[in-house]
Amino acid sequence: MKLKKYFLLLLIIPLLSFSVHKYYLSLTQVNYKETSKSVQIIINVFMDDIETALNKDHNIDLQLSTKKELKNNDIYFENYLRNALQFKINNTSRAFHYVGKEYEGDLVYFYLEIENVSKISSIEVTNKILLKHFDKQENLIKSKVGTTNKSVLLSKEYYKETLTYKN
Amino acid sequence: MKKIELLLLSIVFITSVNFAQNSKTKAGHTNQNKFKQLKELLPTPNLQRTASGAPGLKYTQQKVDYTMDIILDDTNTRIYGNETITYHNNSDDSLAYLWVQLDQNMRAADSKTPDIQSNSIPNSTSEKRFKKSYIDAAFDGGFKIESVKNLDGTNLSHTVNQTMMRINLDTPLASGEKFQFKIKWWYNINNHRTDGGRSGYEHFSKDGNNNYVIAQFYPRMCVYDNVEGWQNDQFWGRSEFALEFGDFSVNITTPEDHMLGATGILKNEVEVLSRKELKRLEKARTTFDNPVLIRTQDEAEKIEKSKSKKTKTWKFYAENVRDYAFATSRKFIWDAMAVDINGKTVMAYSLYSKEANPLYGDHSTRAVAQTLKTYSKYTFDYPYHKAISVDGQMGMEYPQICFNPGRPDADGTYSDKIKYRMIKVTIHEVGHNFFPMIVNSDERQWTWMDEGLNSYMEMLAELDYDKDFPITRGYPKNIVKYMAGDQSTIAPIMSKGDHVYEFGNNAYGKPATALWILRETIMGKELFDHAFRTYSQRWMFKHPSPADFFRTMEDASGIDLDWFWRGWFFTTDVTDIGIEGVRKFYATNNASKEGIDFIEDNSEGLNITKPTSAKSKYFYEITFNKPGGLVMPIIVEYTYDDGSKEKKTYPAQIWRYNDKKVTKAVHSDKQITKIVIDPDLETADVDLSNNSFPNTNKDQFSKFKTKMKN
Repeated sequence: MKLKKYFLLLLIIPLLSFSVHKYYLSLTQVNYKETSKSVQIIINVFMDDIETALNKDHNIDLQLSTKKELKNNDIYFENYLRNALQFKINNTSRAFHYVGKEYEGDLVYFYLEIENVSKISSIEVTNKILLKHFDKQENLIKSKVGTTNKSVLLSKEYYKETLTYKN
Repeated sequence: MKKIELLLLSIVFITSVNFAQNSKTKAGHTNQNKFKQLKELLPTPNLQRTASGAPGLKYTQQKVDYTMDIILDDTNTRIYGNETITYHNNSDDSLAYLWVQLDQNMRAADSKTPDIQSNSIPNSTSEKRFKKSYIDAAFDGGFKIESVKNLDGTNLSHTVNQTMMRINLDTPLASGEKFQFKIKWWYNINNHRTDGGRSGYEHFSKDGNNNYVIAQFYPRMCVYDNVEGWQNDQFWGRSEFALEFGDFSVNITTPEDHMLGATGILKNEVEVLSRKELKRLEKARTTFDNPVLIRTQDEAEKIEKSKSKKTKTWKFYAENVRDYAFATSRKFIWDAMAVDINGKTVMAYSLYSKEANPLYGDHSTRAVAQTLKTYSKYTFDYPYHKAISVDGQMGMEYPQICFNPGRPDADGTYSDKIKYRMIKVTIHEVGHNFFPMIVNSDERQWTWMDEGLNSYMEMLAELDYDKDFPITRGYPKNIVKYMAGDQSTIAPIMSKGDHVYEFGNNAYGKPATALWILRETIMGKELFDHAFRTYSQRWMFKHPSPADFFRTMEDASGIDLDWFWRGWFFTTDVTDIGIEGVRKFYATNNASKEGIDFIEDNSEGLNITKPTSAKSKYFYEITFNKPGGLVMPIIVEYTYDDGSKEKKTYPAQIWRYNDKKVTKAVHSDKQITKIVIDPDLETADVDLSNNSFPNTNKDQFSKFKTKMKN
């Protein structure tokens, strides 16, 4: 599994040449909170990319962070994330609760939570965020369970990975 | 009191006796102090590289001159070259052999670059990728060396080892002597849009044209110096180059209808440019406010519709450059603007296809001009006559010319994201003219020395271009996610470029941040700028090593920074400073009126309930802890009960006796209501949850949840 990650990093960099600006990149932070027995997930994506994707998929004009912003657009986001993002915890599919979103600069942050998780030995992440719309999209997953940090970079061809944790 | 002392003494006695019975002696240790000088980590100063960080009396550098005839075969996307190399051995050593770099061999059929990549079967792939990865024959790349000869036409013994070629000399080349030889070669040019690479061609299927951005295209001499000997480490595709300075005479033959930009002064512009273009160029040379179009979009569009069978030859001369590159196409629009660098006129050029317009027309040449101005201000006056930005759809730098990304949508509009990315990369790549094209560090070994310094300078140029420029890398807060990440995939900055995990963060982001912190927080702008300029000027047109940089920054500023280099550059340690606790006291005359007692208030929080007769001041004892391995200044903001705030910085040296915990006694006339560490996020503190007292910090998720409830 680790080899795959290194391979991706090595592969992607020569393709991008040397400015090294990962311009199609989302970050998904997965954090297990012992006190609330929940997995808390924060995702940030570039606002213009997610907007382009949803506008195309639904033939709408979201106008995010403007005065003309479409109301109740959380429905679109929630739907999009449910299709693009799945988690299996300890080999069992677990649905997330969509807590909400907020904007910061050119980023949208999504907050998701999976509740009633008492112990984690593995998380399988399937992340297809923006892969359909952008060939060079990469989705970085960073996770923290207890004191273990695990991360993986997913892309069009490698959109699924299992992260394991020592207990 | 006496009793307690006795009791204490007896405890000490008993424990020491016990200790003596259980173990013989305590193990000692070497100097582990984080402020220990770097002497053991840096090379010993010598007459070539002094302890001050400056080049020494005996500093020498090789010189390599090239004369080349290049032919571009557009029909077969091939390039042919015939070059004469003149190698000047300025070192004190005699050389039994010379080493030549054959970068193109990284793409050869027998290249080991693909072999060292781990790979696996993807979850899924596209038809196109499937065909490319598993069915199509590999690209026939790499140098086809036709001959290596002496000037008299006899064959010259040579040995090719992957991307390196050894020239075997009959008699060693003595110090002070020169050696001349010829290499004849050709290679198939790669399509860099489909196969990747830092040069190559882009094919436009609509009009059948190719944009060529050609670099690393000729056999180049390796660097020989007193740091690496011959720098003949293989080129694996990532860690870039180490190159000598020299003079280039280059003739490039292209289809007659091409527009070309290259390193060096164009010697025959009357032969290759039209009268109209020459006239416009003349105008551009005195136009400082707006780019002047030398070839317009209309003209380029007309030209790209047909393909001339005739050729023409562009003749260039470049003095004192470390490398050579060019870009050529039928499709190129060309604009130009004069830039005033302290009274000297430098030309800023852009070459771009219509697909890149109007983005390039709006911003490219202006970004080039801004870069030259800002960098000249902080380093030295740009010494060359021009800098070109090419719509090359990558981000790669060569002397006086670089290839940049970004194109508008088909309807000609472009988002801010596309715009700022294009400007950012253009500034970055043009900035490389300073580091490493002039301050010529060894990028095969130390990526950070040019990428890190350049990424830092890039920020200053971006802010000069647009004071609200969205800086994405270089601020301390931007590096936190990387530094706080999985330690098994983080390498110290002082690692060879080929071996680091997150290249962008390791060699660009983190060193740029480190320099930003030095300037803004540790050294101050004035001392930093002077030292940075001193380094740049000491090492312009020379080969600096990391030690030369570290030493100069200290030598010119009078600030010992060994602790900073050690932590930030030699380790993967992080900043994490917190407040462990605060004790509070009031003072009162003691019963015997002989002195003043400090009475502790043991209540929760910061509020002190003091008796009316007390002395007027409030006293606090703050314990700062440091879970992070880096030593950094403690920047503290005190908020008082009248709402006023005060910022106090305790220098990093506060940690010199205890790396884990320090206490500070603070007294004030007003009550303190809040204490915050690093309120302006200057230190890349990876955990802010322990930065305030009373601790009201919530993590991002909890904050958001609370916000949603309200």
